[in-house]
Amino acid sequence: MIMSQKSKEHIDACRFCWMCHHICPVGNATGQERNTARARALGLSLVNRDTLQVEDVIDNVYECCLCGGCVGVCITGWDPVMFTKEARLQAALEDKLPAYINALVDNCLDTGNAYGVTELDGELQAAVAAHAAPTDTLLVLGVDARCKVPAQAVKAIRVLEKAGVSFTVLANEPATGWQMDFLVGAAEETKQQMAAAAQVMNGYKTVVLYDPNDAKCVKQTYHEYGVETTAKATTFTAFVAALLAEGKLEAARSDRAVVYQDPYQLARDLSETEEPREIIASYAVLGEMLCNRKETIAAGNLLMAEYIPQVMEQVAARRLFNAESVGADTLVTACVGEYAVLKAVPQDKVAVLSIEDLILG
Amino acid sequence: MQGNMFLHAMILTELEDAVGKENCSTREIDKITHSVDYYWLSRMWADRGEKMPQADFIVAPKDAQETSKVLKIANYYKIPVTTWGAGGGTQGGAIPVCGGIILDTKRMNRIYEVNTEGMYIECGTGAIYKHIEWAANEVGKSTMHFPSSLTCSTVGGFLAHRGIGVCSTKYGKIDDMVLQMEVVLPNGDIINTCSAPKHAAGPDLNQIFIGSEGTLGVITKAQIRIYDQPEERRFRGFLFQDMHGAFQASRELLQKFKPSVMRLYDEAETASLIKKIVGVERKGAFMNIAYEGVKEMVEVEEKILLETFKKYGAEDLGSEYGEKWWEEKITFFYPGHMMDIPQMFGTMDTIAPYGKIEEIYWAMKEAIETNFPQAKFIAHFSHWYEWGAMVYDRFIIEGKDVPQDPVEALRLHQAVWSCGVRAALAHGGVVNDHHGVGIKLGRLMKEQYGPAMQVFEGIKKTLDPNGIMNPFKLGL
Repeated sequence: MIMSQKSKEHIDACRFCWMCHHICPVGNATGQERNTARARALGLSLVNRDTLQVEDVIDNVYECCLCGGCVGVCITGWDPVMFTKEARLQAALEDKLPAYINALVDNCLDTGNAYGVTELDGELQAAVAAHAAPTDTLLVLGVDARCKVPAQAVKAIRVLEKAGVSFTVLANEPATGWQMDFLVGAAEETKQQMAAAAQVMNGYKTVVLYDPNDAKCVKQTYHEYGVETTAKATTFTAFVAALLAEGKLEAARSDRAVVYQDPYQLARDLSETEEPREIIASYAVLGEMLCNRKETIAAGNLLMAEYIPQVMEQVAARRLFNAESVGADTLVTACVGEYAVLKAVPQDKVAVLSIEDLILG
Repeated sequence: MQGNMFLHAMILTELEDAVGKENCSTREIDKITHSVDYYWLSRMWADRGEKMPQADFIVAPKDAQETSKVLKIANYYKIPVTTWGAGGGTQGGAIPVCGGIILDTKRMNRIYEVNTEGMYIECGTGAIYKHIEWAANEVGKSTMHFPSSLTCSTVGGFLAHRGIGVCSTKYGKIDDMVLQMEVVLPNGDIINTCSAPKHAAGPDLNQIFIGSEGTLGVITKAQIRIYDQPEERRFRGFLFQDMHGAFQASRELLQKFKPSVMRLYDEAETASLIKKIVGVERKGAFMNIAYEGVKEMVEVEEKILLETFKKYGAEDLGSEYGEKWWEEKITFFYPGHMMDIPQMFGTMDTIAPYGKIEEIYWAMKEAIETNFPQAKFIAHFSHWYEWGAMVYDRFIIEGKDVPQDPVEALRLHQAVWSCGVRAALAHGGVVNDHHGVGIKLGRLMKEQYGPAMQVFEGIKKTLDPNGIMNPFKLGL
């Protein structure tokens, strides 16, 4: 495997270091040593030394959710996410991806989403059609919401309608490219998908990104990959918080004790931690669970649930346990992917709500 | 084992039956990641592109019952079992040198109870210690166990190797922090130690298994003490002209009260690590003291501390360096701050009474620097008692002086360790203070204990007659 010198340095620094062990959502959920950042680095270091083959480690490379928890706690600044993404890209270039990843990539290229969904849910189609007319503001629902959690996509539309916002939703929304980036990193096809989406988004003054995966991708990754955007990109939560502050949404505070699950894309990558809390505090009694804001622990990943669903269930269950530990009866998330994975956990101790659920009541 | 595919497959099915198929692996990535721990030799081996000895099966039971099933299978087939926590050990204690089964404890990570009346947390020993600290923090308490490996080691790992944290002088070692334990014996029997850690019901079962490094059984559950958070924690940095004065001052201080943190750095470490991380750029021996608890008590302790240290000529550096040290106490151990390959290095922590510890430091320093002129020797003293202290001494050999050939590098490593630890033993030190023995120091256990070693050997033979539990560790 041809890795960059930078990645090799980070791999060799991490291969014998355990300091981020406590924060890894996957490693702590599975209890599997291979799911730690150091184990991934050790495996890749041995590939770099021709002791192991790519095939020996590639499944493990895809067991990482790229949440950056390990990066966040590393005082020295070593970056397992960076070398994990590069390993995925190199495996793709060397045609050594596992078949289950190849299938997801093929779906992304063929249908614009890794799930291979070609037709929207009926209720969502109707909700989208009601906002087909061009406006200054584009609401990007994202592939997770459109393909896997359409009811939440509809609710996102309803929230903006409730606030009296004039906005457009595209029937054929282009993929922002976050799924391709997750699967194979900075491949040419990833950048092409991003450029195509940027071109569409540049036709609007404001782009509201419902899915934190899209928000991170457009607001951060596009810049890293040299994809130009001229539209003002904003997260759904920041947009809604502003509507609330302007009095366009009516606050209705209940006695419900909730905690907020910071999506890592918002909290760690985009430094957005307070806007969602402002929204939630207007509708419920907001408490905090362990590891909040930038120290958040991922609660699941819908794309990974396609190939390791049991692991994602374990990841989500641990986060629900964190909520339960502080006496919360409800966990609120602003990430539709996490919402779906959390909802899939068979339990009845902690209710799972989205921001939209909270607002719409 | 791999040569006998039929038997291998048969045993695999039995292990899968015991713990579930998804918790039993023969994948290369699992074998590899359980073959390299924090032990320098295993890291060097991997760095040279060599494979360390690997287990045949990686098994992760969820509790004592599943652990029992695994040990019964292992005993029947006489397969070695090496217990693995999180792999953060420095002595090679978790390396499966004879193959067989790696019993990974991390699925046993459940926190069963946070008991603020009895002041303990009951948890599976596969829990990462930081997680039980979080659980204590949620109810306003703390475990007060703050080792550098807090975030990366399991409760069982600390118990197996008699770990220690930076606040040990006030709160004790891990062996002082345990109430009751559940242990699975090599024959599969599940036992519980006494419900209280202090008693007159014979020898202390806890202390037989704590520090046994997986050679006598598997600790699967433990009740770990929690403490009230201190109302106040204060720091004070001091600079002693030499270490002798610091020892005199510290011994006197400890007859009066127990600080939480006491760390004395020799001149070499003050000039290197302390200068780099904490920012003290002065000649002498830096010492950091923390004292904590009820505010009124802390006020009194501070007065005693300042008066005592002044008598011995310590320069009061104020609280700034100590606070900085507290903030950075784990920074020392991140790659880029810590020694790393291609350097060869090791920490020969030993412990002794005050009458001997200073002499041991000088003897070890001379032994290392005389016999291995390519080695640098630095030390600090970080765990203190009324009766003595621990020296945390390190040797460092720069990469250019480390043989590239792995076997030659191993030879040099063994020679330095034997030289340093024998110097400690010759002057009344103990083979190790808090990292354990593992395979690294096993050969020196008989030199430490002499005929007393038969006590350990007798217990081992009785509990583990087939010798399956972590062979070649602890000198057993």
